[in-house]
Amino acid sequence: MMSFTFNYDQKKMKKFLNISLLSLVALTTLSLGSCKNEVDEIFDEDAVARLDQAKADFINILTNNGAPNGGKWQMEYYANANEPGYVYLMTFRPDGSVTISGKNEWIGSVDGESLKVPVYGSQTSLWDVITDNGPVLSLNSYNKYFHVFASPEDIPSMSDEDPDETGYGHEGDYEFDLMKYSNDTLYITGKKYGIDMIMTRVDDGIDDEVYMNEVVAMADSFFNAKIPQVYINLPNGVRWIVKNGATSLLKMFREGADEISTAETHNVIITHDGLSFMNPVTIDGYTIKNFIRQADGSLLCRDDNETTITADNLNNVFMIETFVWKADTTQAGGVFKDNLNDLKTQLNAYGKRKLTSVQIAYNTTLGVYGVDFSCLYGKSTFHPTFYMTAEAVGENQIKFRYTGEGNAASGVYAERCPAFLDFMNNLSSMTFTLETPSLLAPVEMKLSEGGNILYFKL
Amino acid sequence: MKKIQYYISAFLLVAVAAMSLSSCSEDKLGPTIFPDVDETLDPSSYTYKLDKFLNENYLKKYNLTFLYKMPDISTNMNYNLVPATYENSIDLAVLCKYLWFDVYDKVAGEDFLKNYGPRIILLIGSPAYNPTSGTEIVGLAEGGIKVSLFKVNELSRFLNNYYMMNEYYFKTMHHEFAHILHQTKTYPNEFNTISIGHYDSNNWQDRSVGQVNSLGFVTTYASSEFREDFAETIANYIVQTEDDWNHILDLASRGWASGDEDDVTSEFYCYYYYPNNDATQDLVYVSEYNVFTEVDEDGTVHKYWRNNTDDSGNRIVVYDVEDKDGINGAEAILQKVQIAREWLKTAWNVDLDELRNEVQTRQSNYDINELRKMVTEIQ
Repeated sequence: MMSFTFNYDQKKMKKFLNISLLSLVALTTLSLGSCKNEVDEIFDEDAVARLDQAKADFINILTNNGAPNGGKWQMEYYANANEPGYVYLMTFRPDGSVTISGKNEWIGSVDGESLKVPVYGSQTSLWDVITDNGPVLSLNSYNKYFHVFASPEDIPSMSDEDPDETGYGHEGDYEFDLMKYSNDTLYITGKKYGIDMIMTRVDDGIDDEVYMNEVVAMADSFFNAKIPQVYINLPNGVRWIVKNGATSLLKMFREGADEISTAETHNVIITHDGLSFMNPVTIDGYTIKNFIRQADGSLLCRDDNETTITADNLNNVFMIETFVWKADTTQAGGVFKDNLNDLKTQLNAYGKRKLTSVQIAYNTTLGVYGVDFSCLYGKSTFHPTFYMTAEAVGENQIKFRYTGEGNAASGVYAERCPAFLDFMNNLSSMTFTLETPSLLAPVEMKLSEGGNILYFKL
Repeated sequence: MKKIQYYISAFLLVAVAAMSLSSCSEDKLGPTIFPDVDETLDPSSYTYKLDKFLNENYLKKYNLTFLYKMPDISTNMNYNLVPATYENSIDLAVLCKYLWFDVYDKVAGEDFLKNYGPRIILLIGSPAYNPTSGTEIVGLAEGGIKVSLFKVNELSRFLNNYYMMNEYYFKTMHHEFAHILHQTKTYPNEFNTISIGHYDSNNWQDRSVGQVNSLGFVTTYASSEFREDFAETIANYIVQTEDDWNHILDLASRGWASGDEDDVTSEFYCYYYYPNNDATQDLVYVSEYNVFTEVDEDGTVHKYWRNNTDDSGNRIVVYDVEDKDGINGAEAILQKVQIAREWLKTAWNVDLDELRNEVQTRQSNYDINELRKMVTEIQ
C-alpha cells in the first residue's frame, strides 16, 4: 500500500482563490484607468497553476501514480443523514474509467430485485478530477449502481408507506470536493449536499465481490435480529441502549431513560473492519464516531479506545425470557457427554425412543426455566421437561438449580431413564462460565465448568 | 406524479463582461486562443474514440462542444440531476449528427449551423423534475448558445421507437434550434395574433391535448406562450409523421367538452354517448381511444363505444361533441405552419418542407448499429 502524506487543505485553497479573485477584480478596476502592469507577487504561482497542480496531484493519488490497473479505494458513502451509509469500491484508472462495486439493497432495486436483501453489482463508468473552487472528484458518467443515490426518480418503497420522492430521490452526491489527503485516506465532501465522507486506499489485488461479501457478512455479524438490543458501554460505566442495529439506523437512549421521549436516531455505515457514525455523536460527554471490530466480536471506539458496543452481559442474555437455547449435543463434553450417551442408551431400551433435541427455555406461566428433552417414539414426540431456576453470577457466569419438578412426562421418563436426573443434577451442581464467538451478537454460547461443556445456539 | 415534458428557452443577458474588457497594447492575436484539440486527446483514454468523433464532427466543424461528462456546475443546481451513461452518449452523439446536423447541412448548407447552431450541447441523464407542478424539463436552450438534452439514460429503451426518440430528444433539438433562430431574427408578429387570448402560461400542463389542438396549438406546451408555440409548431411539423400530423389536425377540427368547462384541469373529450342508448339520460363523455368506427357500403360512418351494448344487445352509439369554441383549430395550426414556412424561407433560406422530408426519411431508415460505427471504428 502506498503511504505518503499529501495535504491539500481545500479551505486554504478556497481562501487563496478568494484572495486571488479579489486581487483580480482590484487589478481590473485599476487597469481601466491605468496601464501600469506591475503587481506585487504574493504567491509563487497563479491560482490556475496551483489548481492545475492540485488536480494533477489528486489524479496521481487516485490512480496510484498512474499505475495501469489504477488505484483501488473504499468510499464510505452517505446519500443523506436519514439513510445508512454504504461501502463502495472504486478502481480509478488513468484512462478515465472507474469500476464501482457495491453490495446493498438499492443495487438490487436497479435490476428489479427485492429491496430486502443486499445485492452485489459492479459497473465501469467515467471519472475525472475537475477544478471548481478547488479540486473536485466527479463521477461524471452514469453508473447505475452508484448514481442510483443521486437519481431524482421516485424511490421504491421498503414499507407500506410510499411517499412520492420524484424530483428528489435520495439526494446523494456524485461530485466530491477533495479536501485533504493523509495516510492513505482522502477526506471528501459531497459538493451539493455537503456530507463529509472518507475514501480509504485498499489493496489493488483484492477481489471486489469477495470484499463486498465480507462487508455484508460483517454487518450480519454485528447486529443479529435475534438480539433485540445492544449497549454502548461508556468509560464512566453508563450504558446507552441501541436498538434497530440491523437497519444501520441506530435508535439510542440512555439506560434507564424513557425510550419514547429521549431516544435519538443516528445513521451508521458498516465497513470491512468496523462501524462508523456519519457524524460524531456526543453522549454523556463522550464523543464517539468510529468503531473497529475486535477479535471477541465487540466494537471498540477508535476515538477514545475505551468505549465499546456489546450485547448485555452473557448471563443476562442467556436468561432473556423469550429466548430458546438449543443444545448442540454432539459438542457436549465431560459429564454431560456421558449423561447424554446414557440417555440415548436408556431411551433406546425404553421402546426404541430417540433423543432428538435438548433445549432450555423460560416457562412464563410457571416462572421457571425448563430443560426440554424431545423424545421421538414412533411418529410421536414427547417432551419430558425438568424445571430449574437460573441465577446470574458476575458478568459471565450462571448457576442453575433443579427444582425437583417437571411436567407430567418428566416423571415417567425419569423413572425409566435415570440419566435425565443425572443430567439435571450435574447441571445444578456447577457454576458455568459463558463464552461466545461474538460479544455483540451472542447467538451461540458455550457453558463450561472445567471440562464439562454444553454448547447452545439461539 | 403526472409527468409533462416541456422545454425552456432562457434569454440570457450576456454581453456586459466582454464590453468592459480593455487593453493597453495592441498584441497580435493568434488564430485561436484554444489549443489544438487533437493534441489533447490521449489515444489510451477510455473515451478516445468518442472524443475524437466529437472533435471531428462537432468541435472542428461547428465550433460546438458536445458535453457528455456532466459537471454539476453546468446545470441548474436546484434540480437533482444525474449524468448520462457513456453508451447512450455515443448513441445520441451519432444520432444528433445523422438526424439533426446532417439534415441542416443538406437542406440549408454547411455554413448554416456553423453560423447559427448552438455552441454547446449538454447531455443529462435524468429529467429535471419540478415536483410542485408535476412537470419535467426535457430540453433547455440558453441564450442561443447552449442546448441541454435531458433523459438521455432513457435512450436505450427508445432506440427502435423514433416516436419516443422524437418526443424526448429530436423534437427537443428542433424546438430549441427554432428558439435560437428566432432569437437571432424575429418571426412575424402575425404569428402571435392567431391564438391570442388562448395562451395559459400557468396551467398549460393541465390542459388536454385535444382541447389545445382544437384551440390551434400542436401541443399543450405550445399553448403556454407565443414563443413556445412558434418553436413547438416548427418542431412538431418537422418530426411528426404524416399520419401523426394528420391526427393532430383531426383532433384540432373536433369539438371538445368536459364535465366541468370552468375547470381547466378537467379532462376534455370529443365524443359522448347516452347510457343504454337512452337520450333521456345524462350524456357521458368518452375518449377517442374507446370509440371504434364502422363504414357502410354506402359510405355512411357509424361510431360506437368500444365493447359495450345496451340492454337490447345493440351497440352504444357515440356522437361527436359539438365544436363550440369558435376556432377552426386545424386552420389555425396550418396558418402558423405557413408563417413559419415563409419566415424560414425568407429569413434563413431554409425550406421547411424539404427539412421535414429529410428528417422523415432519415428517422424511418436509420440503423443505430451502422451509425455507431462512426465512433467504434475510429482508429
